Amino acid sequence: MAFLELGERLRQRAQYAAAATVALAGLNHYPADPDAHDLLARIRADQGDDAAATAAWHAALECDADHVGARKGLAFVAFRAGDFVAAERHLDVAALRAPHDTTILAALDRVRLVQRRSDSGDTPRLTDPVGGVLLFDTQGLRLAGSAGVSTDVATADAASAEGASFSREAVRAARLLALGALEYVVIEAADARVAMVPVGAHASLFLHRSAATPVGRILTLAGRAAHAARDWLERVE
Amino acid sequence: MSVEHWQAALHEVTGVAGVRGALIISAEDGLVIAETAMDDLATADVAALSAALVSRAARCMAAMHTAVPQSVYLVGEFGAVLAVAGPAPLWLVAVARKDAELGRLRLLMRDFAGVLG
Repeated sequence: MAFLELGERLRQRAQYAAAATVALAGLNHYPADPDAHDLLARIRADQGDDAAATAAWHAALECDADHVGARKGLAFVAFRAGDFVAAERHLDVAALRAPHDTTILAALDRVRLVQRRSDSGDTPRLTDPVGGVLLFDTQGLRLAGSAGVSTDVATADAASAEGASFSREAVRAARLLALGALEYVVIEAADARVAMVPVGAHASLFLHRSAATPVGRILTLAGRAAHAARDWLERVE
Repeated sequence: MSVEHWQAALHEVTGVAGVRGALIISAEDGLVIAETAMDDLATADVAALSAALVSRAARCMAAMHTAVPQSVYLVGEFGAVLAVAGPAPLWLVAVARKDAELGRLRLLMRDFAGVLG
């Protein structure tokens, strides 16, 4: 669409007011076009209005939940705000949609590097949504964390409830098949890999990663997360 | 794939060092369709428990808004159960000792599971 090109050219020339006028006029005609929302968001971000940019990128995601530009933009805003966890989460989703986009992969590397520096010595955080670490008790009640890339509480609660049943079934299978104490379960799907590890006798956790993450790495991270969870539970108790 | 081919695939899987048995199961009812296993392995139990585990795994993944499971690996202190989805409702399941080459077994099972139909 012509207004997208015109708006982008104006944005690149730093004519933000004119670019915004073009983008808004386009949105009047095409309110469900995620690219138009993305354009407006980039203009707002260039103007330093991160709140308006975030709102526009969220509007783009309402039109297309996996819109790469919106995910990259939200990652940029989050990174600028020092929220590296959210930045990584958005880039992770963008990378799933555009696995060969080297700009996304480079941005992911940068975010992770900065995150490692800022977290040096820290263990996986249970409230880290991009880590997809979800800790739940044997009754299926969520103790901490969230499920996968979703930060939605209802999703995390539902996953906790199912996770407790899954954990019981896994422990039962290990016992009846004489496999000894359960160490871990890995579930692989087309879009995700999930490890479940027991945390003491009364809790378990899910660690959720994209399908591109090697299984061995997931298990290493799950082991660290379980260690962090045990420490956390001891402090809470 | 014929029953003979199924048996050949199961023999390939059990040929991996440390594998105690391999089965093709129906995840819908937890019954054994074909098997090659050591005598002391209760294959009916393996099938029933694997089907239950796969079913629970699917519910977990649905709750997390992710795709349906393609494989489920359970690892315990002394051994492991690996289950890989074939054409529905078939799953290829292997029971292995802890010292088995789980990485190789996983890849082999994925190759065979895809052509079970």
